[in-house]
Amino acid sequence: MTTLRIEQVSRTFPARHGNAPTRALEPTDLTIGNNDFVTILGPSGCGKSTLLRIVAGLDRPTSGRVTLDGREVTGPGADRGMVFQSYTLFPWLTVRENIAFGLRERGVAQDERNKIADALIRQVGLSGFENHWPKQLSGGMQQRTAIARALANDPKILLLDEPFGALDNQTRALMQEMLLGIWERDQKTVLFVTHDIEEAIFLGSRVIVMSARPGRIKAEINVDLPHPRSYKIKTTPEFVQLKERLVEEIRTEALKVAEHA
Amino acid sequence: MRPLDPVTSKQRVAYGFAFFVLFVALWSWATLGGHVSKTFLANPLTMVQEGYDLLARQGFLYDIGMTIWRVVGGFALAAIIAVPLGVLMGAYKPVEAFLEPFVSFARYLPASAFIPLLILWAGIGELQKLLVIFIGSVFQVILMVAVTVGATRRDLVEAAYTLGASDRGIIRRVLLPSSAPEIAEILRLVLGWAWTYVIVAELIGSSSGIGHMITDSQALLNTGQIIFGIIVIGLIGLLSDLLFKAFNAWLFPWRLA
Repeated sequence: MTTLRIEQVSRTFPARHGNAPTRALEPTDLTIGNNDFVTILGPSGCGKSTLLRIVAGLDRPTSGRVTLDGREVTGPGADRGMVFQSYTLFPWLTVRENIAFGLRERGVAQDERNKIADALIRQVGLSGFENHWPKQLSGGMQQRTAIARALANDPKILLLDEPFGALDNQTRALMQEMLLGIWERDQKTVLFVTHDIEEAIFLGSRVIVMSARPGRIKAEINVDLPHPRSYKIKTTPEFVQLKERLVEEIRTEALKVAEHA
Repeated sequence: MRPLDPVTSKQRVAYGFAFFVLFVALWSWATLGGHVSKTFLANPLTMVQEGYDLLARQGFLYDIGMTIWRVVGGFALAAIIAVPLGVLMGAYKPVEAFLEPFVSFARYLPASAFIPLLILWAGIGELQKLLVIFIGSVFQVILMVAVTVGATRRDLVEAAYTLGASDRGIIRRVLLPSSAPEIAEILRLVLGWAWTYVIVAELIGSSSGIGHMITDSQALLNTGQIIFGIIVIGLIGLLSDLLFKAFNAWLFPWRLA
């Protein structure tokens, strides 16, 4: 059983060059239960990435705390796998070596590493590319490898920071289906940050809408669409209805950002 | 010709070779045509003759060997100390804050100006030559390696942390491999500079080496030998550069993929 608790977590970036300190995140509470797929939706600058980085341990909260199964998060660790928006594969390692990176750090033997890596390679559809370098892969393939790399550690929770943000629409849709397929099969706890409304609904069991300046949780919407979901669900009336509602929520936030810019 | 239009590799070789031909042609015209006095500049034919004489009768190969050994020795010494220090400086900011101001200052101390001091301290033996090259290269390498390691992509470091890497793991498995090709390039570049220092070191208080031969020839006004010596240095430099490049390409295939 995995429970992630975010309790009164806020983040203020200190003043710089005479500017006032920036309040990126208002005190925020959020609890994510076992096998939850939670998407955080918000316009850029709403602190959603900051929140995710705090959960990952890459940033420290100004106040509040994050606990995973009761243990406070004080730094990054293998129990929270992370996939970044930018391509962060190690360019000097092959696909298989990239996926096995975390396993090797933890001292898993080579045979065992390769077994786990090869199983994941099949799962994300990269068979035949085991020995390719990241430079030889397309953006979508690089992100598949990054997801496999994060999964290789068998983390309690998978954190994704707009992982498909840099991909074209067609590739993005395929990647969403692939990720959802993995979740439906293996039941993972997932926290997924995005600014794409359709993506947030299609993937999530729960959508957390964040407001901008200062960043805080504005609404929480349950997505009761049945699983397994295929791309066809995006044209059903239920999906469209949810989308309309979220479009309104996000639009007011985007307007606020535009006015302050 | 259009801006940034590529050339084929055949054309590249042909153009590169053409300039050498042009260069020798101009040189021949100036010397063989009698436009420049023989005292100041030997003609290409005399140069080749003198070169043959040097190699066949005056044991010039031994001088070349000595010079190469000094460059490689002094440079290896510098690299062994500078690369780890540079990596430490790049990885740990307090170490950088501690050493960077001094290294930046020391980098501007001209190695050739140390020669009189080094003769005083180490005599005119091999150690003094090695030290000149060492002083000339070590600070440059430290600083450039520190900058390279410090500029490692932050997102790669963060990704490694989220995969469970320890601080040591970050250095061993992210900072080092990601900087390794740049470090190899830095060494290639500084090796070229080391060649300048060795000749200067050999011009003063030396009894062997290419630089020593050049000073000797100056006393005899033998410009043919001087030019031959300079050309040999250029050729060795070119060769070591090519070897270094090939070695780097072999070592880091993922860069070319």
